[in-house]
Amino acid sequence: MRTRLSIAVMLAWMTPSAAPALEFVEGKLQVHGFASQAVVKSTDNYYFGNSPETSFDFTEIGLNASYQKTPNLLFSGQLLVRRAGEMYDGTPSLDYGLVDFSPLSDAEKRLGVRLGRIKNPFGLYNETRDVPFTRPSIFLPQAIYYDKIRNALLSFDGIMFYGDRYLEQGNLSLNLGVGQSVIDNNVEWTYLGDDLDGDLRAEGINWGIGSLWFSTPSDSLKLGLSAILTEMDFNAGPESPLSSGTIDVFDWVASFQYNAADWTISAEYSRAPTRWNDFGPYWPFKDQVVEGYYLQGAYRLRPNLEIMSRYEEGFANRKDRDGRDFSDLTGGTTPRFDFFSKILTLGLRWDINPNIMFRLEFQRHDGTYALSIRENPDPGDLVREWDVFAASVSVRF
Amino acid sequence: MISRRSVRNILKGLVAAALCCATPYVSPQELIANRDAGVESLTRNEARLYFTMRLKNWPNGTLVKVFVLPDNNPLHIRFSNEVLGLYPYQLRRVWDRQIFSGTGQAPTTVSSEQEMLERVAKTPGAIGYADGPIDHSNIRLLEVR
Repeated sequence: MRTRLSIAVMLAWMTPSAAPALEFVEGKLQVHGFASQAVVKSTDNYYFGNSPETSFDFTEIGLNASYQKTPNLLFSGQLLVRRAGEMYDGTPSLDYGLVDFSPLSDAEKRLGVRLGRIKNPFGLYNETRDVPFTRPSIFLPQAIYYDKIRNALLSFDGIMFYGDRYLEQGNLSLNLGVGQSVIDNNVEWTYLGDDLDGDLRAEGINWGIGSLWFSTPSDSLKLGLSAILTEMDFNAGPESPLSSGTIDVFDWVASFQYNAADWTISAEYSRAPTRWNDFGPYWPFKDQVVEGYYLQGAYRLRPNLEIMSRYEEGFANRKDRDGRDFSDLTGGTTPRFDFFSKILTLGLRWDINPNIMFRLEFQRHDGTYALSIRENPDPGDLVREWDVFAASVSVRF
Repeated sequence: MISRRSVRNILKGLVAAALCCATPYVSPQELIANRDAGVESLTRNEARLYFTMRLKNWPNGTLVKVFVLPDNNPLHIRFSNEVLGLYPYQLRRVWDRQIFSGTGQAPTTVSSEQEMLERVAKTPGAIGYADGPIDHSNIRLLEVR
């Protein structure tokens, strides 16, 4: 574990102060990448690994290439290696891989289409959620971007149409996509509470996404509305206590951001009506409306030194914010505080140069809804009030 | 009531005004392009679209090649604040979103103003910026309307 951190520090040291991206074919082919290592210590509960004992199991490495063949034809792809406690073991995956064709593009508008594996333009951060440099903090606001269920939101295989309109008053941007979601075991753990016999998967076209953004010409104000509609199929195996069934989710988020010279204020509000169909008598939940929101401020003491603070709340069911009803449904085996999370975050970001970044972070948690069940399988071990200390070093080119 | 901050701003303004009047000539940062781009002026909005890499072709169809200095370079900071009306961190955010979501590219970062001039001069469709007036047969100064 120690060696991994020292490798990251060595990497940081070795990166020249202004490492240029790799470019080929007259600059039409670009290669970019990043690597990041975090260390996480918590007072209780497993958060990105064995954090009560200090975890080094939060590593992110990405390598991408893009080829701008002509002004309206772009090919791009990214490989991602991500280790995140028990949730992700570092197996390389295709993060995105697409062809982007924009036949209409001028100073007033742009119309285009993307085909392939596409990142979901959901909220302010989802598209680049695994790139530490683009996140507001080491941990994303979990109340909206749950890492325990990251794959349910991450990307989809399909087609997306997009349109931009550039006006004197600002820019409008619309994305509409359909396809198939990329589901993994974490999604099953989160929605069904266990890794059951049988599998949760996407059947046919099960994914629709739309997002609409407005920003003022200088990008000082940014407003957005994004929504996802999906259905997942569970095919029960012979050993499964649950019958085969489907899960319907409609997840939407409203986003706000204001950018000034020295500070940025961001806020998002999200709701996800979720329904479980036909899972049989042993499944206690029928439907719920997941809810989450946060308010976040960042202040740049110097252009390369930023402090941030955020307060967020997330609930498994907005009609049962204290978790009383859901806890009763489980016969009290799952405590009430496992159905909400209230998190205060304080963070420091220092960009030593444009290619190396250090971060420090402190979180005070009330509730355990943000935790992965996969990492914390026994509800009896959960502790309601817990703190997290984290640090990370990230490099890019 | 005047806050401490506004007093500071007034003082800053006075100092800036004094400096401006005391200096006979302050060289402005200029938007420059390769002669092949075939344009003589841009609106501020067009300049933003080119530098955020959302508009990738010149009116004549040529592919745009954007050159910038590192994020912490003083000329880069002045150019993005004063000509584009964007803070450097906003430009970085747009580029990062594009390169790390596969929806676009980032400009080519050059290491010095000298390299900027050389690259813009020899790359068809190139756009960049320079400090003060320059005289190069392959580079055209673009007026920002």
